[in-house]
Amino acid sequence: MRRFKHFDASSLDEAVSLLARFEGRAKVIAGGTDIVGTLKDSVLPEPYEALVNIKTIPGLEGIRNGAGVLKIGALTRLEDIAHNETVQTKYAALAQAARVVATPHIREMGTIAGNICQNTRCWYYRCAHNRFHCVRKGHAAPGQSLECFASDGDNRYHSIFGDVKDCLAVNPSDTIPALIALGATLKTTKRSIAVKDIFPPSDEPTKMTIIDSDEIVIEVEIPEPQASSRSAYHKVAIRKSIDFPIVNCAAVVDFEGDVVKDCHICLNAVHYKPYVPERAEALLEGEPLTDEQAATAGEAAVWGAKPLPMNSYKITMAKGLVKKILIACREAG
Amino acid sequence: MSDELNIMESEPLVRDRYVPKEFKLVGKRGVQRRDGKEKAGGKALYTRDVALPGMLYCRLLASPHAHARIVKLDTSKAEKAPGVRAILRYDDPELEGKALEGLETKFNAGHIASDGQAFLHGKFELAVTQEQWMQGGGRVLDGFAWWEGEQCGVAIAADTIRQAEDALALVEVEWEILPHVLDPIESLKPGAPPAIEEINKKNNIIRKVKIEEGDVEKAFKESDQVIEFSIKREPYTAAEPEPMSNVVLWRGDNVEIWAHQQQAYDGKMLFCAKMGIPLNYVKLHIPHQGSQFGHGGNPMMHHTHGLHVISAILSKRTGRPVKTLYDRRDTFYGLSQDAEANTKFKVGFNKDGTITAVKLDTIVAKMGQYGIDHFMDNTRIPNLLLNYLEAQCNIPPAWWMRCEQNHNAFCLSAVFDHVADALEMDPVEVALKNDGVEGRDMAYLAAFKKDHGFQVRDSLAEIVEKGKTAVDWDAKWHAPGKKVLPNGRLHGIGFTWDHEWDDIRGVSCVGLMVNVDGTVDILAQKSDVGCDYMTTHCRIVAEEIGLPIEHVNWRHFEECGFQMMTPDGSCNLCVDAYASIAAARKVRRKILEYAVTPTTLIDIEYPAEFPGYKVEDLEIVDGIVRVKADPSVQCPLSEVVKRATVEQAGTRAPVFDWAWHRQGRYGVQEGRHRLCRQCYFAEVEVDPDTGEVEVTKFVSVNDVGLAVSPESCEGQQYGGAYMGVGRCLGEEVVFDPKTGVKLTGDYIDYKVFTIRDIGKTVNILHESGMGWGAYGLVGIGEDIATVAPGVVGNALHNAIGEWVDEHPVTPARVLAAIDKAREKGIL
Repeated sequence: MRRFKHFDASSLDEAVSLLARFEGRAKVIAGGTDIVGTLKDSVLPEPYEALVNIKTIPGLEGIRNGAGVLKIGALTRLEDIAHNETVQTKYAALAQAARVVATPHIREMGTIAGNICQNTRCWYYRCAHNRFHCVRKGHAAPGQSLECFASDGDNRYHSIFGDVKDCLAVNPSDTIPALIALGATLKTTKRSIAVKDIFPPSDEPTKMTIIDSDEIVIEVEIPEPQASSRSAYHKVAIRKSIDFPIVNCAAVVDFEGDVVKDCHICLNAVHYKPYVPERAEALLEGEPLTDEQAATAGEAAVWGAKPLPMNSYKITMAKGLVKKILIACREAG
Repeated sequence: MSDELNIMESEPLVRDRYVPKEFKLVGKRGVQRRDGKEKAGGKALYTRDVALPGMLYCRLLASPHAHARIVKLDTSKAEKAPGVRAILRYDDPELEGKALEGLETKFNAGHIASDGQAFLHGKFELAVTQEQWMQGGGRVLDGFAWWEGEQCGVAIAADTIRQAEDALALVEVEWEILPHVLDPIESLKPGAPPAIEEINKKNNIIRKVKIEEGDVEKAFKESDQVIEFSIKREPYTAAEPEPMSNVVLWRGDNVEIWAHQQQAYDGKMLFCAKMGIPLNYVKLHIPHQGSQFGHGGNPMMHHTHGLHVISAILSKRTGRPVKTLYDRRDTFYGLSQDAEANTKFKVGFNKDGTITAVKLDTIVAKMGQYGIDHFMDNTRIPNLLLNYLEAQCNIPPAWWMRCEQNHNAFCLSAVFDHVADALEMDPVEVALKNDGVEGRDMAYLAAFKKDHGFQVRDSLAEIVEKGKTAVDWDAKWHAPGKKVLPNGRLHGIGFTWDHEWDDIRGVSCVGLMVNVDGTVDILAQKSDVGCDYMTTHCRIVAEEIGLPIEHVNWRHFEECGFQMMTPDGSCNLCVDAYASIAAARKVRRKILEYAVTPTTLIDIEYPAEFPGYKVEDLEIVDGIVRVKADPSVQCPLSEVVKRATVEQAGTRAPVFDWAWHRQGRYGVQEGRHRLCRQCYFAEVEVDPDTGEVEVTKFVSVNDVGLAVSPESCEGQQYGGAYMGVGRCLGEEVVFDPKTGVKLTGDYIDYKVFTIRDIGKTVNILHESGMGWGAYGLVGIGEDIATVAPGVVGNALHNAIGEWVDEHPVTPARVLAAIDKAREKGIL
């Protein structure tokens, strides 16, 4: 691991000031379960110069429920979210997602904000010692053209909805689909922004989110779902013990009797950012949620998908997963 | 119990004929694990932990290219970097002659001596000359790379790891990048680039083997039915937890080595020979091993032998201890012996389930397993034909790790389940119908058992009954693809079987020292490989002498003149226990001889503790020497030792003895049939929408011969179950097809399973006493993880109704199989 500076911030102001001083060459560290691996493996051509520890800032941890909104502090550990009774009962998809992040040890360290802001797991991008200086990493040397090595490489885990500026990496977060389906908002040191809107436009492939380099997530706010709604989450992965998703999905369905009144679905690990299948949502609303309807929604969810040579199976998987999640929402009642 | 000291001959049909009828400690549960507290408490010292005063840290350059030569190496900037104390370059004169002897080997240039199968059958063709083979491994810190990640070019020793790595980043390398080939099938096509032209410029054929028994073509014609199918298995790796490292201290004329190595004593011999140092000037320390899984099991390769040479040269030059380390990605290094195996099957059989002929055409990358062996080892199938070819590729070295028998077990499993499927027969019945040995039936095997003093028992028949009951086989087995559970998932159940691993071979030495307080030290150096061997040998020695187990201890880390074999050939306790037993019986007899013999100290004669008695009159029970006929006549063993050793001023002569045991040459000795069997049952659920697979129940039934330590056997069953399931469902070394760079260099991308990845595990130990090892035991450490992938594959076929013919069985492959089953109307 290359040398870097480490600061324990005592306040958000101090942390923001430190981040601003390094002009993008510093990163926030909280649980550290993502950033430390990046540093240890020397993934990037130019390592970060500094880490700003925000665990030393009081008041950023905890789950508060009231006034129709659930507030989860940025430093709240995933294991605490998974076992919180309110989250389990009213925000089931989030509890289910938090429960399957990595391992118990990592969930005891990893935070909700870290899970939202985590970097991609593309095995070309993350290959140790910067073996692949890819388009996502930028910083091309003079005369060098950067490429996405997955495009004609082993792309079994990559995007099924096309590239973004040639990059085929996907967002690997477990909790983001649940948060988007539940309509969550992020409160940062600069703004309040819906989780679904934190992802960059398609001309910025090197960034996972639009959160600025000197901006810190403070809290996640989730409006209380309708009493008649139910939510569910599932991740497909090789292992249960520890794995990032091949495809994951969350849904929140509000029922009026058997009929779907409102529906929010979010897939992840299928594109550079979470994928909301609006066609699927639209066809469900106002209709009874039968098995057949769930399957039709699954088909609609992957409309426009463009498989790579090695990942057409992810389209089948995404279809099946959407169907499965919708039925799980129905059965949860 | 016989007191006879059975000195074993080194001939294959030796077995233990002196097994006690009753045991006090052997086979008993609840014995506390001897190294449990230090390992569970984080106090155990591993090679990675060794820190000596003034120690330097050394890191090596790893090739970023799959095939390349160093044209120019500029280390001038690195030499001036902070903390750098020494740099060793590939063009250093001291590295000349430090060849890896074709031993980065048995993969690169073809293998000769190590392969017992080839020797056994005497039928193999080597594509390279002996001389090429000897040179074929390249050299320690060579100037070229045959695969991405190969350690070559330069080693840098600095005050800290970071300084060594920073300096390494300053090294400027000009590479001549050469064409590479990754796929064994592609490498054999006309026009494929030579993968290692230093060995073979003509083609990429390493070796061909043809093994033939009987006449398969005739048998196919005469069979009721013939089927053909293919399977492909991707390579896996060891993925051991402790990354590779060593420490060498060169002090004056003496050298000390701290080794993370499975056959460390062999590594010392090779090191001494290469460095020109007498054996008695090198002292070897083998700290705890953070597991090996066979990865450190070849002492002649770069990550083992190469590290010793590099650390030693740098230590000699700096006068400081040097630790050379691989990082995690470096440690995801070698490949399994069956690195990418492609096999085409043709199988003939009759309507009653009798298999008449099996033909295999196998092409593997680097070094493989034939796939035919287990049909010879434990079936009555008389007609067998193997056409086998090893192809050279620019992928890492392949050798035996995590047991090299995976392909052999897998082929057996696949053939039996395909035959059962074709005949719509219960696969258990097909197994029982074809059990046997070397083409001969169970009647022959029964006669063999009787002739060689074993009980005549039918191991397979006994264990399948236990397994069927545990999994409720008769109620749950169904036609493939025909059971959907209420949760919408497809239910599958599978069975497979094989022989127990009794590759009992090797040499083991043990010394026993009885202290004046009556306690016993086991004197033997052994690498920490195996499941609780420390307690197990203490248990055996205590049992044989007649001591409480607490009175026996073993710290096996230091060199003491006695080398207890570590798993050199898929065997461990089965050979080592012979030596422990023999040494303990000798020591016991010596103690009793002292008890009945007067002692003279210059002019004083001390009477015997048991005057007038003979050795045969006495026994040792719980550390007390007593008269068998009148146990009230007794004294503590410590008193006998005190009297015998004439303690004076704190020093004394030792009560000591030792024994050695040598058995076999290679695991499979012609005519020494495998008698114990193992079987497995797996239940799976498959999500037809997503391709997810859940192994809900895994049943292992192992005929271990005799379970010296039942909990250790069960530990191996638990570990083998999840490791084997992982091999079937997840583990795969993936290379970028364009660059040859390994993409699976950590525990995220390389998918090792844990106990949390499988459902209920049922472990059943069966004790037939029919092993060739001490007390009639056989080893099970390797076999469960090796056979398990086959049974999970069979269960998946039962669930889907279609074979998944490429392993690992990822969700992508499951979904493809489901599609096929739907097209055929099975689902």
